[in-house]
Formats: sequence, structure tokens, C-alpha cells
Amino acid sequence: MLARLAENLFWAGRYVERAEDTARMVDVTYHTLLESPFGEVGRTWDQLLDVLHLRSVWEERGLGPTSDVQAVVRFLVLDQENQGSIAAATARARENVRSVRELVSSELWEAVNGLHLELRSRDLDRDVAEQPSELLRLVRNASMAIYGVASETMPRDAGWRFLALGRLIERAEMTCRLIDVRYGQLDALRVPARRDVVVEDGGFHHWIAVLKSASAFEAYRRRYRASSNPVDVIEFLLLAHDLPRSVVYCLTSSMHQLEALSQGRPSRAVRLLGRTASSLQYRDVAELLDEDLHEFLEDVQQRIQQVAEAVADEFFRHQPPGAMHAIASS
Amino acid sequence: MGILFDGYDQGPFFDEVFAADGSVRPHYTGVIGRLSTFSPAELQRREQIRDRIFRTQGITFTLADDEEGLERTFPMDLLPRVIPADEWDVIERGIVQRVTALNRFLEDLYVGEQAAIHDRVVPRWLVHTAEGFRREAFGIPVPHAARCLVSGVDLVRDADGTYRVLEDNLRNPSGVSYVLENRAAMTRVLPIAFAAERVRPVDHYGPMLLGALRSVAPPAAGDRPTAVILTPGVYNAAYFEHAFLARQMGIELVEGRDLVVEDHVVWMRSTSGIERVDVIYRRIDDDFLDPVVFRPDSMLGVPGLLSAARAGNVTIVNAVGNGVADDKAFYAFVPDLIRFYLGEEPVLPNVTTYLLWEDEQRAEVLGRLDELVVKPVGASGGYGLVIGPQASDAELAAVRAAIEHDPRGYIAQEVVGLSRHPTMVGDAFSGRHVDLRPFAISGEKVEVLPGGLTRVALREGSLVVNSSQGGGSKDTWVLEDAGAAGVAPGGGGGG
Repeated sequence: MLARLAENLFWAGRYVERAEDTARMVDVTYHTLLESPFGEVGRTWDQLLDVLHLRSVWEERGLGPTSDVQAVVRFLVLDQENQGSIAAATARARENVRSVRELVSSELWEAVNGLHLELRSRDLDRDVAEQPSELLRLVRNASMAIYGVASETMPRDAGWRFLALGRLIERAEMTCRLIDVRYGQLDALRVPARRDVVVEDGGFHHWIAVLKSASAFEAYRRRYRASSNPVDVIEFLLLAHDLPRSVVYCLTSSMHQLEALSQGRPSRAVRLLGRTASSLQYRDVAELLDEDLHEFLEDVQQRIQQVAEAVADEFFRHQPPGAMHAIASS
Repeated sequence: MGILFDGYDQGPFFDEVFAADGSVRPHYTGVIGRLSTFSPAELQRREQIRDRIFRTQGITFTLADDEEGLERTFPMDLLPRVIPADEWDVIERGIVQRVTALNRFLEDLYVGEQAAIHDRVVPRWLVHTAEGFRREAFGIPVPHAARCLVSGVDLVRDADGTYRVLEDNLRNPSGVSYVLENRAAMTRVLPIAFAAERVRPVDHYGPMLLGALRSVAPPAAGDRPTAVILTPGVYNAAYFEHAFLARQMGIELVEGRDLVVEDHVVWMRSTSGIERVDVIYRRIDDDFLDPVVFRPDSMLGVPGLLSAARAGNVTIVNAVGNGVADDKAFYAFVPDLIRFYLGEEPVLPNVTTYLLWEDEQRAEVLGRLDELVVKPVGASGGYGLVIGPQASDAELAAVRAAIEHDPRGYIAQEVVGLSRHPTMVGDAFSGRHVDLRPFAISGEKVEVLPGGLTRVALREGSLVVNSSQGGGSKDTWVLEDAGAAGVAPGGGGGG
């Protein structure tokens, strides 16, 4: 298929997922803070901006102190100039799907366009001021509906695989960030490095919020019963082979798509992704906690970005034979 | 004839359906007879079905100045336009003749001896001042001289019913997708209308176009040349058509950034590597085609494309520089070019046209501006048109000043009444002006798709049929020659 169309589908998958995961993270942070002492507010949003790699953008824009909850939420949800905001991600997802309308079902286009139009028609300032939760839920549900429609209407050709690959890669990265934001925010309640240490204070409700934001709370309860240990939550979200939002699940599923796309050719993207996946697949959570978890998560994110670069080189940026020499000699 | 035609007023115009005495013309008796059995309510119900088909299939266009990028449909009237075989024969011969002559002229201009200029059939200065003239096209070869590979010659019918050529449209004529979609919709919405008629099909346009595109591939391309459609992208008004044609032909719809030129060869980027491109059916204007040669700010084109074409490694369709012959003053010289290159009399006449740099003609025109139509020579789509009988004094004064300032920039034409055709308006038929744009394809030979796009000026009294100016359309039927058809479908006797 045309490289541009493949790239559009890949990015459509990424942007839809980015909007959804940003909504999940803003939601969990916002609601955690409703039950937190005032002094934590600014610091907590700072940490969220850090894990989303948006702190420098925020500061460049001169939007004031991060203790102004409405300003931060507005920045993350509806600021069109912030390329990482939900509104911007949604608009870019729409642009990408619009460019490939000939390849996707009309239902998929309608679902993506519908979210964009819904966001445009709402009084977002009021949503943010009064009840961001409803808006954030809408974004989350719409994103899941978009992927559901895609999944039910697209043939399993290369186009589908690029869309799925984009979504899975983005989600792997964002789930790392979701764990990291809570891990970082709660460093006062240090996560015990060992499973048999019980957290006595009330900090676990923060981890419940994380599970809920990953739609994984019920599944967690079924598997870990009444456990209130953050180590179990981290294990579940990072290493569960069967949880659709866990980092390992996203990486191994990405691997299936990428292997099918590269059709057995030697592929740098496959190698990089395979190494990243296996760095997690056979790990014990205790090992990870013995190291610096934050650094580990940052490292995984960096590797995922390298995979995305390799995918772009391998599939989207082919040059004529002569041009390769020109680049090599310049 | 049923209440649908109660109070139908033919007015002083040539009516496509009704003869002057009010009787139905013979080639319309079948379809009018069958449609007359419908109640207005039933026809309106069919209109709703039609609207749903067009909307859900996204058969739409967007207007350039519409900020929201709103998609509009180009409404198809339920009463088809019918052209009998003998009339079509004249149209077809006339268009083949005209396009052949224009191909010859353009080939001669850009890679030949310029015989028509040397022999003063058309003034050199006129060619060189035409907005669509491109010096950069000199020396670019086109196999079979098929420079106007797709043309959409606009025809109108005057008060006598004579078909006249209004414009040639040799750059990027659009609308053929509506011809095919109208036919497809018509067979679903009003299948009964077709009963026992022998309507010539149109759905072979895709293979016909692809065949012609392949036939103009550079000789080096081999047996299986790769052709692509180059679109400006999803925001272009005619994007639907670009995508539609790509689907009809099963070829890639590419944007400029999908192509790259290296050593005068054009390549297309795909996920599995790069692929050589031999023929580009571009739906991008000359100015945006290659930023190295034309507008350097163009993001739509492909740097180096023209040099690849000049090297004979790729064929650009339609050829660069065709716009010279779309100049509305140049148009006046086409009948002479037919005589010069083909030694034939034109089959289809022009509309009487005045050249305003000629002192006598200009004086006459300025004396009767309120009776004539004035057009800027470089515009298309009905933009900048001033219709004398409908213009205000201020508009006439403005156009007078414009002509005196730049006589080469305008032409004046006699107002052609434009034939009218009954068209559903509300719950009854009333007369609306129509034109006809048949599509001709040049490859090894010139062929015309039977029928074409009938455009309807939906506003009462309006003479402007362009889609950008609020027009509609009609499915257009060319009937088989009764003698040639043999046995009619359904077992009835032929001819």
C-alpha cells in the first residue's frame, strides 16, 4: 500500500489512543486530588505534566502555577495549541482518518468525525470548570467505540495492521506513563520493594484509581482478591500477559502485527520491539522494584519511540536507489 | 399526461421534451409516458431515496471558499435527459473532430513546427498571452499526440435546437463521476423509467480511461505500465471524483508527497519499497505541478516532475500547457483550426464570439453590452461572468471599464437562450435551462462516452449551470440507433 496512507493509519491509531489515555490520566489525577491536601495539588499536576513530557510546553506558554486546577485541565483537555491535548489529538486523528477515507469503512470515519464534532459543539470550558469527569468519560468511550468499529469493519490487511500497531504502541507507552505518574506522585508512600510488606496507610485508594482508569479494577479484584499491595497493581498493569492494557500485552500484540507486516524480511523494527517485549515478558516485579522503576519505565518508553522510528524508516520513508547514495555521501 | 405537467410553461425557449406545438418529442414518449403514471407524492418519495443514496455514498463536492469544508451533493433530477441516436451521431462526430484538431494544434505548438501560427490561422501574440500557455511545455512529448486525453466539451442548444460548443475544457474537466453515479442511482431509484428503452451504457468509462492512460505510457515502460491519479488531496472540491476514478480503474490515488523524482525518473513510495510510475493522470493545475518549474510555494506537486516528463520517462495527463486552448479568445479560432489541420468544415458551430481588441467588434459590443454576455478569458466555473440582459447599470459600467482597460482580457458572446428541460421543482415539473458536457478520451484514437453530464440551472431563469453556482444534474441517455440494435431486451422486435 501507499506509504503515506499506511502512515496516516498508524498515526490515526496513535492519536485516538493518545486522546483516550490522556483522558484516563487526567481523570484519575483529578479525582485523586479531590481527596488530597491542598499542598499536593500543584506538585501532582507537575508530575503529570512531567510524565506526559508536557512540562516545558506548559512553562513556555506561561500559563501560571500548576495549582490552578482548571488551567491545567484546560491545557490538557482542550488547548488546541498544546499538541498533546485531547482536543488536538482528536483533531489530528480525524485529519489522518480523513486522508484515508477511501481505505476505511464509512462507519469508522463517522465515529472519528463524530467525536471531533461532539468536542467542537460542547461548552468545553464549562465541562472543565464543573465536571470534567463526564467529558473525559465521553472521550474514553468514543475512543473505544472507534476502535470497536474499526475492528468489526476492516479487513485484516496491511491497513488494519498499521492502525492496530499505532494504537498498541501508543498504549504501551501511555500505560508506562500511567504507572509512572502514580508511582512518582506517591513517593511519600514508597511502594514496598517486597510483596509481603503490607501498606498500612490509606494510600491504596490511589492505586485503585489507577486500576479504574485502566478499566482494570474488576479484573484485578478477581485475580488478586482483596490484595491492597501496590506491588500487585504494578505487576498487573505492567506484566499481565492477558490484560489488554498491560504493557506486556501491548508489546506482544504489536509484535504480531509487525511480524505480519514485515513478511519475514529482516527488520530492525521487529528486532527492537522483540527485545523490548522480552525485557518485560520474563521479568519478576520484585526485580523491577529493586531497580529504579521510574528509570525502567522511562527506558521502555524510549525503546518504544525507537521502534516507532524504525517502523517509519522501514515502511514510510523509502527513497529511490540514487537518493540513498546522496544521503550517505552528504 | 398527468398532473405532474399541469401548467407546464415552455416559454420562448427550445424545450428538450416538448415540441413547439406542445406534443412530446418522439424520443421522450416512452420515459414521459412511464413517469406520468407517478403521483407527485410517489416521485418525492423517490427523491428521498435518491438523496439517501448520494449522501451515504459521499457523492459530494466542496466549495473552495467554504471554511467549514461542508460537503454538498449535486442533486440529480429524476427525469432523465434523452438524446436520440441521430442527434448523438452529430455530437459525437463534432467532438471527435474538435478534439482531434485541438490535439494536433497543441502537439504542433509544443513539439512541432507551429504551422497554424506560421500560416497566421491564429496570431502568435494571442497564443503567447494566453494565461494557460506554458513555455515550459516545449519539447515535452506525448505519445499519439493525445494531449487532451480527457476533455469535457461544453455544449448548449440555442433557440433552434442547434448544439453549439461553449467551452472546450482541456485542462482538468471534472464531472464524469456524476455521469456514472447518476446512472447507477437512476437504475435503483426509477428502474421502471428504463423499461424497453435501449440506453447506451456508460459504466465502461473506467476501462476506457485506463486503456488510454496506458496507451500514452513512454515507450520504455514496457507492457504493463503503472498509471496513477495525482490529487491535490482531500480538501480539493473534486476529491470525490479523484477517489472514484482511482477505484474504477484500480490504480493508486497519490498525492505529491507520495512521489519522488530521482535521475529524471518518477517513483511512488509504498510500504514495501518504491515503484516506478509511467503515467500520471494529474488533477492538479499546471501551476502547482512542479515547484522547480512553476510556483515554488506549491506543496501539492512533485519537484522535478517536468524534467522527468521532458526526458520521456513519464507522461503527464492532460499535457502541460493545454490551457492555452482553453483561453476564451482562443476559442474563437478553433473552427479555423479544424479547417486548417483537418481540411473539414466544423460539425458543431461555436457561439458567436466578439474579439474585443478588434476596434470594430469592440465598438459594436460596447454599444450593446446589455444584450451580450461578457466573460473573462482565463476564468472557468462561471466565475466573473456578466450576463448583459440581467446585469445592473453599475455592473455594465464596471464591465465596460474593464474591457476598455484590457480588451484582450475579455470576450463578448451573443446570449444563447439555452434549451430548457422539465425538472422536478417541488411537486411538479417546470422548465430549467440545461447544458451538456460529453467526455472525450484521446488515446490511440478519440472516443466519446455516450451522453455526458447534463447540468441544470436550478434557479428559475438562471443561465448558469456550474456546480459551484448552485446547479443540479440529470442522468443523460443516448438511445441506441433503432436500426443497429437488433432485438430489444425483453423479447420485443427491434427496429
